[in-house]
Amino acid sequence: MGVVVKKVELSWLDRTYVWPVLKGMGITFKHFIKQLFTPTSKRYTIQYPDMKKVMPAGYRGLHELKRFEDGAIKCVACFMCAEACPARCISIEAEEFSDLNITQGFEEKRPQVFKIDMLRCIYCGMCEEACPKDAIWLRNDYEVAAYDRLSMQFGKWDLMNTYAEADGKARITEDPIPSAPRRAIAM
Amino acid sequence: MDTLASLLHTSPALAWMVVKIVIVFSAVMLLASVWTWVERRGSAMIQDRIGPNRAALFGRIRIIGLAQLLADGIKFFFKEDLEPTDVNKGLFWLAPFLAFVPAMMGFAVIPFGRDFVSGGATYHLSVLDPGNGMGMLYPMAIGGLAVYGVLVAAWSSNNKWSILGGMRASAAMVSYEIGMSLAVVSIFMTTGGYDPAEIISAQGSLPWHWNVVPQFLGFIVFFTCMFAETNRLPFDFAEGESEIVAGFNTEYGSMKFSLLALAEYAHLMTASALVVTLFFGGWQVPFVAHPSVGLSILSFVVKLLFFAWVFVWIRWTLPRFRYDQMMRLGWKAMLPMSMVNLVVHAWLMSHGR
Ligand code: SF4
Ligand code: SF4
Repeated sequence: MGVVVKKVELSWLDRTYVWPVLKGMGITFKHFIKQLFTPTSKRYTIQYPDMKKVMPAGYRGLHELKRFEDGAIKCVACFMCAEACPARCISIEAEEFSDLNITQGFEEKRPQVFKIDMLRCIYCGMCEEACPKDAIWLRNDYEVAAYDRLSMQFGKWDLMNTYAEADGKARITEDPIPSAPRRAIAM
Repeated sequence: MDTLASLLHTSPALAWMVVKIVIVFSAVMLLASVWTWVERRGSAMIQDRIGPNRAALFGRIRIIGLAQLLADGIKFFFKEDLEPTDVNKGLFWLAPFLAFVPAMMGFAVIPFGRDFVSGGATYHLSVLDPGNGMGMLYPMAIGGLAVYGVLVAAWSSNNKWSILGGMRASAAMVSYEIGMSLAVVSIFMTTGGYDPAEIISAQGSLPWHWNVVPQFLGFIVFFTCMFAETNRLPFDFAEGESEIVAGFNTEYGSMKFSLLALAEYAHLMTASALVVTLFFGGWQVPFVAHPSVGLSILSFVVKLLFFAWVFVWIRWTLPRFRYDQMMRLGWKAMLPMSMVNLVVHAWLMSHGR
């Protein structure tokens, strides 16, 4: 079945072309004037380095590893996110630490290395979904760029600190509780 | 003027000539390059965009992006001057100048202000004094030469797209030239002369006596043909990204490309000067019978800039024509219309108006 093309019968005035052209020029001029007198902040264009787009809630941008108030990382190195990640870009190495006050002598787990390859990440948010501790969040920030590939490997401290200052948190470069020495596992 | 002449050890006439040439051509060149920016900014506004506004002098002084001109110039100047291996070298180098020079030369006969008398001598505000025997025929002839710039650029670059673009452009120019010339002829007829000064003084200072009112048809034809002549958008057949890449300037880069692009805008300026002279009373100021020299220049410049803006405005209003549509419009609409215009005015004149 073919498509029936509707032929538009042009009126006498439209056939002269002059009047329609003038009409069109009126339209473009209206746009010109409107745009000319619209303040820059109200225009459609977001002039990027000066103005930034406010991302909607639920936008999936750069990750953040959340922390407790004392600066301890929330992540318990359960590897759920690494399992869930469809791009296989999270690599975690766990370590143990022990704090008598909190853990009553038992060892707790936390990541010693928590690396996300931002070049492979597809920002799907599966890691956030999978995390049982709400330790990894995808933020609204979208400015993830670097000059070389290596600096796109975000480590544990990058993930914890990149937006710490913007959020009014202190930069931390050290876990508050030192890790427990590795023990040989008794067979 | 006399003091300047004595300082330079030349005759006043020669000094005046040099001053006129320098002022007129530098003004046209400056306007042409400013118009590249006006075009980009204006089109942006028309399309609800913003346009080039970030270029700044010393990274600081951002005069609504006007520094873009400088930035463009510098960028083009320092680009590698690529020359494809199989081009015809001489013509390849010649073509940008062939395009640019005629576009500027047409301006030479246009009077841009009223004559004035100083120290017993009459000074004419046009590069070539009136009564030179060429009159309005000169810009028409030179305008016809402009096609060589496009064609030579196309031919010499040894590229299929370029050749196609050049062919189309020259076909368009040739077919629109006839309608345009006939529209101008009827003005010559009603004026009784083809000197721009005569044409302007015959139009008087009342806007409804300007040629655009009695010869509206002629104006429409002439203005439309000017778009084809200048290769501007509704009829820009020398280029065409979706069909023939960049057309005649596909192989061009750096300063040569910039010259070709500037030629278009210089041509645009000349074209709007022609429209103003022929149909809108040149330097005549509306309702002022004997304007001062300054006022007449201002009037001319305002009209010129307005029409230059109309060129931009129409470009961003109308979509492109298809090639056959443009040919049909040229031969089946513009030519008969200008003929009808000619015959009607001849008939009117033979009946004593
Ligand atoms: S957002 Fe998706 S791809 Fe990126 S680290 Fe999380 S699970 Fe992997
Ligand atoms: S971020 Fe969450 S899911 Fe990933 S290892 Fe840490 S606690 Fe487990």
